[in-house]
Amino acid sequence: MTGISRRYILKAGTALGAVGLLSGLPGIASAQQAGDRIRKIVLVARPQAADTQAYQAAELIVQAWRQLGLDIEIRAMPRPQQSELVWFNRDRWDMTMWQMVGRPERSDPDELVFNLFHSSVAARGYNFVGYVNPEYDRLAEQQRLETDEEKRRTIIRQAQEIIARDQPYFFLVFPKWTLAYDSRVWDPASIVDQKGIGIRNTWTFIQARPVGSQQDMILNTNEEVRRMNPLYISGATDSWMTELIWDRLMRIDKDGRPVPWAAESVRWVNPTRIECVIREGMKWHDGRPVTMEDIVFSFTAPALEEEVGGRRVQRSPNYKPFVENIKEVKATGPRTITFDLKEPQSPFLTSTLAKINLIPKHVWQPILDGLKGKPETVEQVQEERPIGSGPFKYVRWRTREEVVLERNPEHWAAPKMNRWILRIVPNQEATLGMLRRGELNFLGAYRGDPEVLVEMGKELSHIRVVSTTDMGFQFVAPNLRRKPFDDPAFRRALSTAINRTQMAQAAWNGFADPANSHVSNALPFWFNESTNWIGGDMAEARRILEQAGYRNIRGRLHYPAGVREPHGG
Amino acid sequence: MGGRKLLMRVWHTAFVLWAVITILFLMFRLMPGTPLDAYLDSSLTPEEQEQILAQFGLDQPLWKQYLIYWANLFQGNLGKSFHYRQDVFWLLMAAFPNTLALTMFSLIIAYVFGVLAGAFLAWKRGTWIEGIGIPIVLTSRAAPEFWLGMVFLAMFSFSLGWFPSGGANSPGAEFPSELSRMLSADFFRHLALPALTLALYLQGLPLLLMRSNMLEVMQEDFVTMARMKGLSEWSIVMRHAARNALLPVATAFALGIGSSVGGNVVVETVFSWPGLGRLLVSAVSAADYPVAQGAFLLIAVVQVVMNLVADILYAVLDPRVTHTAHG
Repeated sequence: MTGISRRYILKAGTALGAVGLLSGLPGIASAQQAGDRIRKIVLVARPQAADTQAYQAAELIVQAWRQLGLDIEIRAMPRPQQSELVWFNRDRWDMTMWQMVGRPERSDPDELVFNLFHSSVAARGYNFVGYVNPEYDRLAEQQRLETDEEKRRTIIRQAQEIIARDQPYFFLVFPKWTLAYDSRVWDPASIVDQKGIGIRNTWTFIQARPVGSQQDMILNTNEEVRRMNPLYISGATDSWMTELIWDRLMRIDKDGRPVPWAAESVRWVNPTRIECVIREGMKWHDGRPVTMEDIVFSFTAPALEEEVGGRRVQRSPNYKPFVENIKEVKATGPRTITFDLKEPQSPFLTSTLAKINLIPKHVWQPILDGLKGKPETVEQVQEERPIGSGPFKYVRWRTREEVVLERNPEHWAAPKMNRWILRIVPNQEATLGMLRRGELNFLGAYRGDPEVLVEMGKELSHIRVVSTTDMGFQFVAPNLRRKPFDDPAFRRALSTAINRTQMAQAAWNGFADPANSHVSNALPFWFNESTNWIGGDMAEARRILEQAGYRNIRGRLHYPAGVREPHGG
Repeated sequence: MGGRKLLMRVWHTAFVLWAVITILFLMFRLMPGTPLDAYLDSSLTPEEQEQILAQFGLDQPLWKQYLIYWANLFQGNLGKSFHYRQDVFWLLMAAFPNTLALTMFSLIIAYVFGVLAGAFLAWKRGTWIEGIGIPIVLTSRAAPEFWLGMVFLAMFSFSLGWFPSGGANSPGAEFPSELSRMLSADFFRHLALPALTLALYLQGLPLLLMRSNMLEVMQEDFVTMARMKGLSEWSIVMRHAARNALLPVATAFALGIGSSVGGNVVVETVFSWPGLGRLLVSAVSAADYPVAQGAFLLIAVVQVVMNLVADILYAVLDPRVTHTAHG
């Protein structure tokens, strides 16, 4: 509350400052007109070894800002320490390097448009920079309620324009994911490049067609697998398996839009009612049929909570937010399920129908019953043999080594491959060696220099390399709670000084597109091209600072006249 | 070994374990970062965050957490992983056999080679063989493990294709039981490179130890006596001197088991070996206290027990060392 009111006062203060400047003699700067010298600013980044690209980007940025007269240093911190500072001590840092990663459910812009910048999540939620703008809040709320796609698109584009104007983040790049596969094993025509996600996606896993005797896909991840639980979002790699073992009513298509999957059709009856017709003849992996009761249960189970020892215990805290807006879900026909929503929610198809895993009631009801009276979530549960209805069946999981799934021949979209074998390989160089030797025939994750991969593709014609722009993005987050970052003009000036083309080339080796929006250009339907902006204009950056009253005195930047440094000199 | 002295030794061991457990408990709770950091990306509400903290008892005062930890420990309950949401005990048990196999295999290679080569080099004291041998031993001992591992991978796997590039078994390999998996040719083919890397790193100690012991023993009266008896040089080195020089090496072996169980992080990462070291590293970086505590505890127990074994072994092997009260 105090944060908001203080912000408004400050905003008013800068406006007055600008007026004062206009009435004065333009272009003549003197020490008398300037406020305090701006303190030394600290830019937090992960160590160079942990995230080379972001660290290099930080170095380029710091160089440019020093030319503006800003005293700034990079402070490297391991991830846990950085999170602790940025997330849990929201008024104690100046700036940090940060990123948002792409995920299928982020194909709908709602999550990023609402959660990143809505003022309601500034105190403890995703809006960690503390951006507060009632105009933006209104748009973020409106787009949620607007079920007409074209109208919603207009709102989303407006929201992007506001962010481009206010620069609460200094967007840097939309990175590209570079992955590869062995074309001696997989028919290139059957590999699907999903918008914003890349070739490692559910569609590829279902459609990939073996051309020779090798019928197994052997792919890698560099992350440990934590869990295979349809009621727990446990990690990026884990979600690859969850998507294959369990079906959903809809799935995110190659172009990023939701399409019916276990539902034959999905229809908005009115802004708060959706009707789904379910496919016939679906079966769980244990042979039992998928019933309407199972499907209703799949949407009610994540919402379960219970009072245990005076505390509200949610059984599936990860999935609960996605079903919270459902007032009622029920079978309204032999194959029809109807959802009644509490209020209109345009991203419902993506954020709920394409997100919630369909789970067998006969497996999960007893598990949930067993938790009654205990302060535990269902997230701890690991089925000995996960049972879904999806295109792949669970075979085996050896921790820190591999996960094996096999094709479900009874599925309507039965995969072409025989087995899907995920190898856990923490060593980057070994990963490349394995791909080269054919020990891997699909590169599922690669965090190294994409250039190395491209070179390998040139040398070995059977290694096909594919780069895809991510729907995630890399950025510098300024802390808007602290001076001088509370001033949009100051932020615009800093952002103008960053040359994004140069950055994409130098730090990301060309495997990135310049970014200036929280909606990626990998989502062309929602992306607003008018936000496209390279920056890198030092003269313009100086002009903006000058106009807003900032003064460069003997190489050091000072606040506008009358502004004190509240955080020590 | 006297009963009273043995009891004292066991009592010491218990004290060391208590201290280790207490330090471990405090260490992870005083480190920067909380287990909640792992959830940052899933937009938890404050209530959800509190629920998670409560669920793992992290909302309790520190002393209470400590008591609960001990109570659980006495029941053999190491707690549940924050990260994997699984019993720590089973997580450890999935990793431990692989680590033990890697450790034992490489220790045996290292010590058999080290003992023989050490005796040989002592015998060849002052010759050109020693002049070449010692620098080679020192260089290989000092080479960083990850570098050595990568060189082995590049040579024997990527180029020559003799060995697989990582993991403990071939992709998708099926085995009827855990034991049959670990006794399969496939497992040993995967074990070869990491074990060799680790062995190369470990061989320096037994080799140099053996060599210096041998040089010492060779000065002893009983060796001079053997020479006077006209025994062959080989018989003197192997049957008389080496047996006596072996004592400290046996101790080092027992201690080596203790220290290498937890020290394989680098080799395990380079060769994607599914062992305890990797579990430990990921647990520490994710602030997964129960797993990190459990893994360190397991390592400490092995180490402390192996110390005890080394002591006892020494007393058994060397009649000069007794554990009676006043020597």
